[in-house]
Amino acid sequence: MPSIDYNSAADVTERLEQRLVESLTGETSVSRRTVLGGLGVAGSAAVGLGSSRASAASDHDDEDEHGNFGAVGEYRDLDFDPHEFLTAFNTGNSGQDNVPQQVYEEDGRTVREFEFTAVDTTIAIAPGVEFQAWAYNGQVPGPTIRAVEGDLIRVKFTNLGRHAHTIHPHLKNLNPRMDGIPQNGPGVLDTGESFTYEWIAQPAGTHFYHCHSLPLKEHIHRGLYGTIIVDPDPERVRENPREYVNYHGPITDDFREQLVEEAKSRNHEYAENDAVNEMVMVMNSFDTNFDGGNEVYAANTRAFGYGVGDTDGEGNWTAGETKRPIQIDKNQRQRVYLSNATEFDLINSFHTHSQFFDYYDHGTTLTPTNKTVDTIMQCQAQRGIIEIDYSDHEPGLYMFHAHQSEFAELGWMSFFEVV
Amino acid sequence: MADQTRDTTTDGGVAADEEITQPLGLPRWVSALLPIVLLVLVLGVFAFTSPLAGVQSGTPLPDVTITHTTLPSDETVVLHVTNNGPESVTISQVLVDEAYWDFRVEGAGGDQTLAPMESAQIVIPYHWNPGWDLEVALVLSDGATFHNTIVAPSQSPGFSLSLLGTLAVIGLFVGVIPVALGMLWFPYIKTMSDRWLHAVLLFAAGVLGFLAFDAGFEAFELAERVPGAYEGNLLVVFGIFGALLLVQAISAWREGRVAAGDNRASSGLWIAYLVAVGIGLHNLAEGLAIGSSFALGRVSLGAFLVIGFMLHNVTEGPAVVAPVARGERPALKHFAALGVIAGAPVILGGWIGSLAYSPTIGAFFLAIGVGAILQVDWEIARMVRDAGGRVASATNLLAFLLGLAIMYVTDLFVAL
Repeated sequence: MPSIDYNSAADVTERLEQRLVESLTGETSVSRRTVLGGLGVAGSAAVGLGSSRASAASDHDDEDEHGNFGAVGEYRDLDFDPHEFLTAFNTGNSGQDNVPQQVYEEDGRTVREFEFTAVDTTIAIAPGVEFQAWAYNGQVPGPTIRAVEGDLIRVKFTNLGRHAHTIHPHLKNLNPRMDGIPQNGPGVLDTGESFTYEWIAQPAGTHFYHCHSLPLKEHIHRGLYGTIIVDPDPERVRENPREYVNYHGPITDDFREQLVEEAKSRNHEYAENDAVNEMVMVMNSFDTNFDGGNEVYAANTRAFGYGVGDTDGEGNWTAGETKRPIQIDKNQRQRVYLSNATEFDLINSFHTHSQFFDYYDHGTTLTPTNKTVDTIMQCQAQRGIIEIDYSDHEPGLYMFHAHQSEFAELGWMSFFEVV
Repeated sequence: MADQTRDTTTDGGVAADEEITQPLGLPRWVSALLPIVLLVLVLGVFAFTSPLAGVQSGTPLPDVTITHTTLPSDETVVLHVTNNGPESVTISQVLVDEAYWDFRVEGAGGDQTLAPMESAQIVIPYHWNPGWDLEVALVLSDGATFHNTIVAPSQSPGFSLSLLGTLAVIGLFVGVIPVALGMLWFPYIKTMSDRWLHAVLLFAAGVLGFLAFDAGFEAFELAERVPGAYEGNLLVVFGIFGALLLVQAISAWREGRVAAGDNRASSGLWIAYLVAVGIGLHNLAEGLAIGSSFALGRVSLGAFLVIGFMLHNVTEGPAVVAPVARGERPALKHFAALGVIAGAPVILGGWIGSLAYSPTIGAFFLAIGVGAILQVDWEIARMVRDAGGRVASATNLLAFLLGLAIMYVTDLFVAL
């Protein structure tokens, strides 16, 4: 019986909220400028006053005279879950429901086939702030494709948006028809047109795909981008170890074996891979007012999506429903496939608190390109693999964020909760 | 000769004294033309000898204005540009959202160069998205840039009879009908005492006074988008004074007629017509605003806006008929004419605004309306005074204030 009461209370709340939203958005005489102005106010409120209380005024628990930063409120649009997205790998064998896919053999090669659709949609980028996006399969970032080195990636692409789109892969691609640019192959695909792209998954690493229609700035920053992960093939690594290291000295048997082990840990078809917690993050940003600058920054679209819901500044925090840290097991190795889709700003960055990590630029090597760093930067389309270990650390919250403070305070602020 | 009575002409002029002798005994026309002939000679010498050639330094800066933009389809953006500078400019490149983009220049004689004061259209094939601002920039041959932001773009309607019909219907609803309804207060106004009638007249003056400020601010705002060569602000000043002095001149001519014993000219009907013309000019400008909103694809003429306009304009009806409340009731045809003169220009303005929109025309019409209204306010004050009333009585001042206040409140409903 209590649960019935709870449900009806929830229903009433839902209805009231709905009515509030309708009263705010249904009034047609409210000009678009007014709405944008309102969003601007909401935006500044998000910067100035929030519910994640980061400061440490120990003598008051709730009131903080300096104000708190973070976005106010919860996300209502539950179509996209940034926590699910972290580990949503589409391999052909398994993946997201909204990405039809299959695996089969063809001419002695493994083919991983995916159906992609470009659509016009609306996404939530901060609580209460919506963005008119162009999206592959309705999500921003687009679905993460995962293949093994040497496989054929076949993408059956249909454009259902009102603008013309393509898919351009950042892979070693030997056929210009498959490059996904306006000048080659099928060119841009107008509304309703389809094309099947075929790319060999090479080289091993973490890669980027995006729409290459013009104007490029618009087509990228509206949301048409995603990650392609190409897992190294351990047998190929054993035979051609030099292709996977930026090192010119002798390759000993031990070193060769070490590279093969690393390749196995990267390859989702090997058991060694299960020991690692892998996450995909795309650093992105959104210009909501057409001024050529971003109002919202995030890792995986949602401002403060991996932030702390609420804290009293003494280490006691309450997770929000939709804004909560990424929970990780301290005994597991953490691997982040990071890429940067940020438009309008020259670079973005990734900084961890209280721990250093190894960074593999583009993920094309099996030895780190930067060892023991706590900050790396990426230009647009640059990507890399971050390997980090919290096994020495006490359980608790460990921050990670862009170390452009502006980006952090505009949403690209996150936490690992180490347990 | 000084003691001779001077002839006064009907326009108030005085015949010149012909007895003043001309120097050297030359005919009068010679002394009228001489300065002009000498000026031409000096200009000729200046032009051919270029005495300041060594003094000149630098070159004048290029100045190009994007007066307005139209979006005939979702694949096309058209920029209307004018060269304001003293020298020709060449539009070498066009940027859309900070990207070089295809374009062609139409109306500049087949090339991309605009002579001083020349206007042209720049046609850009661009798949814009409704509601998403576009920043466009012209890059001239010397690298100078001129920027314009198209805020919340939406498609402009092309020319069609149905558009003209729509604008006529809108004009009927926001202009003619409310004014006609407001005029129906006439029988009631006729029964009022002098004191209250004067209050109604001052109320009308308040209504008009508000409209003068409203249109004046808009005219100066619009003048900022007038190409620099046309001196938008001065054009507005000229429009205001031009209309004011022209109507005042007609009014003075009427007084001459009254003095000469013409009864028709002395009636309140004359002032009623002046008020109708003043309001008509204002409504013409209102129509221009509506029509140009259509032309620019910026229309949200919901029922709310139309209702706002009707409330706003219904107060103009009593303003028109109050001057004829005393004396014999004019023939009904005069009422019809007054209503049409005051209200129908909304339709005309709508057509002009949608077909031949430019900030220059818009600002000038608004300015003319301001001038006409100011003159009418002057006229109303005189009418009250002539009828033996005190213009600045407490009742009258409050009535004027009420006129301003009601217009302010109803104006809040009609922000285009």
